[in-house]
Amino acid sequence: MSATAHPVPVVQALGLTKRFQGLVSVDGVSFSIAANEILGLIGPNGAGKTTLVNMIGGTIAPSAGELLFEGKPITDAPVHRRAHAGIGRTFQVMKPFPGMTALENVTVGALFGRDGGLKDMGKAREAARGWLEFTGLGRRIDTRADELGGPDRKRLEFAKALALRPKLLLLDEVMAGLNPVEVDEVIELIKAVRGRGVALLVIEHVVKAIRRLSDRVMVLHHGQKIAEGDPASVLSDPRVVEAYLGKKRT
Amino acid sequence: MVLPQILLNGVLLGGLYGLMALGMALVWGVLNIVNLSHGALIMLGGYAVYFLFTVTGLDPFAALPVAMAAMFAFGYLLQRRLLNLVVRSALLNTLLITFGLDVVLTYLAQLAFTADFRTINPTYSGANFAVAGLTVPVVRLAAFGIAIALAATLWFVLARSPLGRAIRATSQNLTAARLYGVDPGSLYAVTFGIGAALAGAAGGLYGMVSNLTPYIGAELTAKSFVIAIIGGLSNPFNVILGGVFVGVAESLAALYLGPTFTNVVGFGLLVGILVVRPSPSIRAA
Amino acid sequence: MMNKKTSIAAAIAVALLASVPLFGSDVVVQFGIDALSMATLAQAWNLMGGFTGYPSFGNSVFYGLGAYGTAIAMTKFGMPFGVGLAAGVAAATSCAALVGLPILRLRGPYFAIATLGVNGAMAEIVSNLRIAGADVGLVLPLTRNDASFYELSLALLVFCTGCVAWAATSRFGMGLVAIREDEAAASTMGVNATLYKVAAFVLAAAFTAVAGGIHAYWSTFIDPASAFDSTLNVRMVIMCVFGGPGTVFGPVVGSFILSAIYEVLAAQISTAAALLFGVVIVVAVIFMPKGLADLVQQAPGVGWRYFVRNIRENGI
Repeated sequence: MSATAHPVPVVQALGLTKRFQGLVSVDGVSFSIAANEILGLIGPNGAGKTTLVNMIGGTIAPSAGELLFEGKPITDAPVHRRAHAGIGRTFQVMKPFPGMTALENVTVGALFGRDGGLKDMGKAREAARGWLEFTGLGRRIDTRADELGGPDRKRLEFAKALALRPKLLLLDEVMAGLNPVEVDEVIELIKAVRGRGVALLVIEHVVKAIRRLSDRVMVLHHGQKIAEGDPASVLSDPRVVEAYLGKKRT
Repeated sequence: MVLPQILLNGVLLGGLYGLMALGMALVWGVLNIVNLSHGALIMLGGYAVYFLFTVTGLDPFAALPVAMAAMFAFGYLLQRRLLNLVVRSALLNTLLITFGLDVVLTYLAQLAFTADFRTINPTYSGANFAVAGLTVPVVRLAAFGIAIALAATLWFVLARSPLGRAIRATSQNLTAARLYGVDPGSLYAVTFGIGAALAGAAGGLYGMVSNLTPYIGAELTAKSFVIAIIGGLSNPFNVILGGVFVGVAESLAALYLGPTFTNVVGFGLLVGILVVRPSPSIRAA
Repeated sequence: MMNKKTSIAAAIAVALLASVPLFGSDVVVQFGIDALSMATLAQAWNLMGGFTGYPSFGNSVFYGLGAYGTAIAMTKFGMPFGVGLAAGVAAATSCAALVGLPILRLRGPYFAIATLGVNGAMAEIVSNLRIAGADVGLVLPLTRNDASFYELSLALLVFCTGCVAWAATSRFGMGLVAIREDEAAASTMGVNATLYKVAAFVLAAAFTAVAGGIHAYWSTFIDPASAFDSTLNVRMVIMCVFGGPGTVFGPVVGSFILSAIYEVLAAQISTAAALLFGVVIVVAVIFMPKGLADLVQQAPGVGWRYFVRNIRENGI
């Protein structure tokens, strides 16, 4: 474990399991992420990656297993309480507030968010402006979210999650559909976020990005963890190559 | 023999309830419109059969297909000329416009037909026969049979015909349906027309077992809605079953609790079902 | 944000409205009481239907509870009017919290229809209660002072609109709008959706109940049918949506306009009035689906193309 400054991991999962009507989507997965660490999560389609993220975010209740956040159990905590504790996330299918401007979208995160957020409207707006600058949306703060293009929506999704000042950030395929230049930008963004002491769980199909980004990589296959470790050795593990890289995605 | 008789009455009435809800479930499932004027369409169908019967002397059961054809045309035009203008609007807006339609149809009916109670009374309306000690009213039994037959027809059209395929494709993915050459505007109109025709049939049968006034729409809309939720939007037979469930529950509540608390029972049942039952195959609002 | 100009305009409007009893005839003042009360109902509905995105078709139950709470406290316990209002508000808000917890878990049409049943169920319960005069009703102490009822109704509307204006620019209102826009995303950002929805519902119930209590005292007689009048729901929804749901002044302006139209028409033939009301709804939904407020803001710039755009956006 690479955690040295914080002996207690930010998040720790113990045998997380999700069954949907008899089908096991996530099967007894355990892992932990330390502060300042980026854990990459890869696996073929249907491996259970998003289900795992949803269990951490609280939108899906696990069938079995336990989840600790900074050592405290949060397995049954409602979604908003997890945000107050410091869990932020993006959605694979992005969920902006369509009728609000970019600034208003991010302000919601700043107003609520960790520890209940900044209670003051003015301060929240100021903070939101800062996060929009940080993610490169500074020029579009007054644009309605449903009028933003694809890459800008991703930036917005990112800014919203950051505005709640998370200790743990769950990123579900933020690079899908971006061109190589934009992927590079996002990688720099993620690194900058980590530089602020945030722990990250990054789901990604772009393997090159995962290799460049992650401190550790975990591989799911049919809901089970089949490999975990430093990127280079995991990505050359024959089982991983067979399960994931061997089957070329279209 | 009180309980079996009550149950039989509930089942027969429930079949008619199911038929009322069939058109609403179809329109809701395909167009994503919760049609609050559905009850008014049932009411119009009832008057159509009533006048065909009293003015031309046509037997009310023979008048049903005529009324259905007229209601199909009316529904088609309504969707084509009016509702298609707002069909992609927010749910509140489609609720509101169909509510406005309900008001318009109700008061037009009042101007045209007056507020008098009307009943469709063919010579055989009181006829019944006895089976195993139970009294079976002929008209209600026929209404039940017609409800089943129309549900079966609808099921067949949806599942087996090219039209049904187009309807199902459009309800799942508008853009994809367009790519396959479906014109959603006319398909929506046809679907709404079928819904209106089913409402028309239900109205004609309703007029034979109960009273018609211009104001019956709102209550029938609410009833159809509850049944559509219980039965789900995908299978016509489940809608009929939902109707039977409500019909039996109503009869039992009237028997055991008396008529004073039917609304409380109804509301409790509705909320209970809504809260317990996870949303069926309905797109989130 | 409410800017200075809007505040001044609002203050002038309130002053003008407040002076109506000084020169208006009895008929005008009585019409005013009804119109102000309707506007309050539309504004209270706006909190749930407009800001939070939960269209309730059952707010009339709070109106009825407000009326009955006031009437029972005054006639059975000899309490003054103010205490009666408080009793009505207490009844309505407890009902909102109790009913709200289960049904606010439902979305869209499910929520709307579930609320439809509340009113009928409550009317039935009340008409079986001896203390509420069962289905005969209650007669309140007679006080025929239209001017003070008018000013009271106006004060309630101003207070209610003030609360909505505050909500529109506060953390609370931001949370409500976030829930309307995407409830799942709002929770992920830390909005306690259940708490916020119930709070908005309770707040709406309180304003609606006060309006009901005032109306009960003014009309001096209530029975289940008049207190739990389900057509009230329809009217408040239409007035709010016509004016502009989710805006501060839209529901007030919308309900004044529609109340006036209705009053003029009802003086002719009531069937024609109802019919035209239906036509107004249909036409309004087609041409101005976002309400008067949006029309006033957008149409001057683009002219008649505003209507074409609405149809193109929402039609097929």
